[in-house]
Amino acid sequence: MSNKSLEGLKILEMTEAWAGPVCASLMGDMGADVIKIESFPRHSLTRPTSPRYATMPGEGPVYERDALHHQGNRNKRNMAIDIRKESGKEIFKKLLLDADVFIEGYAAGKIEKLGFGWQDVQKINPNITMISIAGWGLEGPYKNMVTLGAGLDATTGHLSLRGYPQGDFVDTHPNFHSDATGSSTIFFAALTALLQRKKEKKGTFIDLSQWEGLVWQFPAILAEWTMNKRIPERLGNNDPHIVPHGVYRTIEEDKWIVVAAEDDNQWQGLCEVIGKIEWTDLMHQYSNIVGRIKGRTEIDAAIESFTKQYDGFTAAEILQNNHVIASPVVTPPDVLLSNQLHERDWHQTVNHKWTGPIMVGGHLWNVEPDTLSWDIPTALVGQHNEEILTELGFDHDYISALYANGTIGNHYEN
Amino acid sequence: MTQPLNGLKIIEIGGTVSVSAAGKKFSDFGANVIKIEPPSVSDVRKIAPFPDDIFHIDKGAVHLAFDTSKRSIVIDHLTNSGKEIIQRLGKDADLIIMDIPVTEAQDLINIFKDGDNLLTNVVTITPHGMTGPYKDRVENDLTLFGWSTRSHRHSIAGREPLRYGPYAGVVQIGSTAAAVGMAAVWSKRNEGMNRLVDVSGVEALMGNVDSGFFLWAVNGALQPRSAGQSSGLYPSGAYKCKDGYMLFSAGRDPVYSRLCNAIGRPDLATDKRFTDPEEKPKNFEIFKKILEDWLATRTKYEAFDELQEQGVMCCPVLDASELENDPQSVYRKSYITRNQDGIGDITIAGPPFRMNGLYSDAWESKPAPNLSEHTTEILQEHGYGTQEIIALFRAGVTT
Repeated sequence: MSNKSLEGLKILEMTEAWAGPVCASLMGDMGADVIKIESFPRHSLTRPTSPRYATMPGEGPVYERDALHHQGNRNKRNMAIDIRKESGKEIFKKLLLDADVFIEGYAAGKIEKLGFGWQDVQKINPNITMISIAGWGLEGPYKNMVTLGAGLDATTGHLSLRGYPQGDFVDTHPNFHSDATGSSTIFFAALTALLQRKKEKKGTFIDLSQWEGLVWQFPAILAEWTMNKRIPERLGNNDPHIVPHGVYRTIEEDKWIVVAAEDDNQWQGLCEVIGKIEWTDLMHQYSNIVGRIKGRTEIDAAIESFTKQYDGFTAAEILQNNHVIASPVVTPPDVLLSNQLHERDWHQTVNHKWTGPIMVGGHLWNVEPDTLSWDIPTALVGQHNEEILTELGFDHDYISALYANGTIGNHYEN
Repeated sequence: MTQPLNGLKIIEIGGTVSVSAAGKKFSDFGANVIKIEPPSVSDVRKIAPFPDDIFHIDKGAVHLAFDTSKRSIVIDHLTNSGKEIIQRLGKDADLIIMDIPVTEAQDLINIFKDGDNLLTNVVTITPHGMTGPYKDRVENDLTLFGWSTRSHRHSIAGREPLRYGPYAGVVQIGSTAAAVGMAAVWSKRNEGMNRLVDVSGVEALMGNVDSGFFLWAVNGALQPRSAGQSSGLYPSGAYKCKDGYMLFSAGRDPVYSRLCNAIGRPDLATDKRFTDPEEKPKNFEIFKKILEDWLATRTKYEAFDELQEQGVMCCPVLDASELENDPQSVYRKSYITRNQDGIGDITIAGPPFRMNGLYSDAWESKPAPNLSEHTTEILQEHGYGTQEIIALFRAGVTT
């Protein structure tokens, strides 16, 4: 957060899982003062109290070592407040007074019951932007329905298109694409509202349905139906208009490589590498794209004969050196084999109280002249209670009383 | 009507799916987005489907959806004459977003520099970033997904890794570029400082969630490449019902217990065969049969209503033919129909977020431009005379 693009903005984030938390981290990366309001005494989805597959090695509470939590919560300060209590509401009202953005991820209607719906919040701070990110939004017949990102994916038509050709839906993995894309949409929405505030001198409420934040990204799925009354086929990795366009075996067991040639120049480069230069002769059926589409099976077999001689990184390098689209299908450990990512210092090392130094993935973008940095490791629950409450004007004795009566906390019960 | 981004000037260069998706975020909320397209035809215009399967440079579905509310100008950015136009268009812009090869991007960045001083905000979108040994590699949606670790996980062990839906990866990259571009715009409006932003497609995909790298890096765990239905923490994945499939995320309590109640089997919520972590995977087939028997007597919408009434995380798997008529889409007008010259009515997705009410006019989708539709208009706006415009056309800089 050495970057200062959003310096001076105060962001309150009251969300769980990924889309909301990641958005807030991205704002923290760019210099905003992000305060995560952690659920208390109930722990969030990504702070389990029992060990699970995502638990990181180390000492201390399990809920402080969950990888899925760490992934979405860098560069923030953390408060744990029970906002069901009147004393908790009092604190949150003070936080709202000079906040620029409040992002909340409760199910529709819940935040109103807690006394912080838009009607309440804008009375406290008429200049604030409030964003609700319920799965299907705050209005409509699904507003009270519950979902994770995988469910949203199912109802956009995307799940129906993913998976193996002729495969069954039961074999198609649920995914969390909406979380990955939702974070940037929330980010964009917040700044859109802030730019509007500059002109109109008042705050804004945003109803951000994560479903709507996802579905605009798949125009071709809808258009196959609306334009041509077809339900799109599941094509796997194939493209009906590009050959080759696929994933191929390498010399390593269950390791793969992607290869594609989108035009005749790339096709020339590919044929030179795989020893099929005769396929570029004008008279050969595969020298043109129409012929290649008819010969997909034979072409794929020839490519695989080449790729099976190498590991994915080596084969991709040979192909790329001849201007062919190619990449290894990277497994998580393979990420460390990328010279590119090392050269760009993409990986970060972060020191966390309970895990010690850990290597993590880097940022989504680089900025000059003020670069990004991972300055605040994922905060402990309630780590900044005292610091922030003091900034709000509460004294030591009152803060102690808040701990004693359970309004704030810094640990969860197992 | 005043839209929130009225007054912003955004220049979009490259004609790719990524940069088109990025520009759309600005244009539909009122920014003046100038789409600079190459004489070789933008990639986004080449992508099917087309109405009645007849290809047309102005009628591709992805172009019609992603280039809304923009103006189109064709400029050959590789020529000095083209660079001069871009320099003139960009000097009072809030942001320039470009998705072109690294060497070409560097050339354009240089025309927006006065010494070390950057004259406007610039966001570059490239496969691997502007620096490093892979910077000149040529990639596409499929290979970028291959790099992201997501293809590997999106498969069954021993079988070919799969991408998501076509262009899902590059659209995400474009959406990422729009977000950071917006931060640069905000900062410029506040403090007058311009920034150079380098968006590497690989890093944008891999650094976000839904990537397996973070989990592995911090605790060594590799997510299983098993079938879509989890046999360990179930029900998770798609299950067949009377007329299609339901997607469940109901393996953990309290959602699991709610499911057991909803299907009339509260006993399963405490049955150790399904609650003991060691026993549960052994009894997957038994539970699956119970759930599928219940689902077999219900349509996906009937099951959706009944289960959601009890707070069970589940959703119907919809295909393209069902999207427009889904009750939530209908209520919120999540899809809009508008007229496009030369086609008639077309349907596209509505706003990605709603400002100041469900049906406010903060977001408006105007027709996507025909190729080069606004070349003369834009050149005139920027001070080019009639004969100069003809000269640019004669020289092949514009079309």
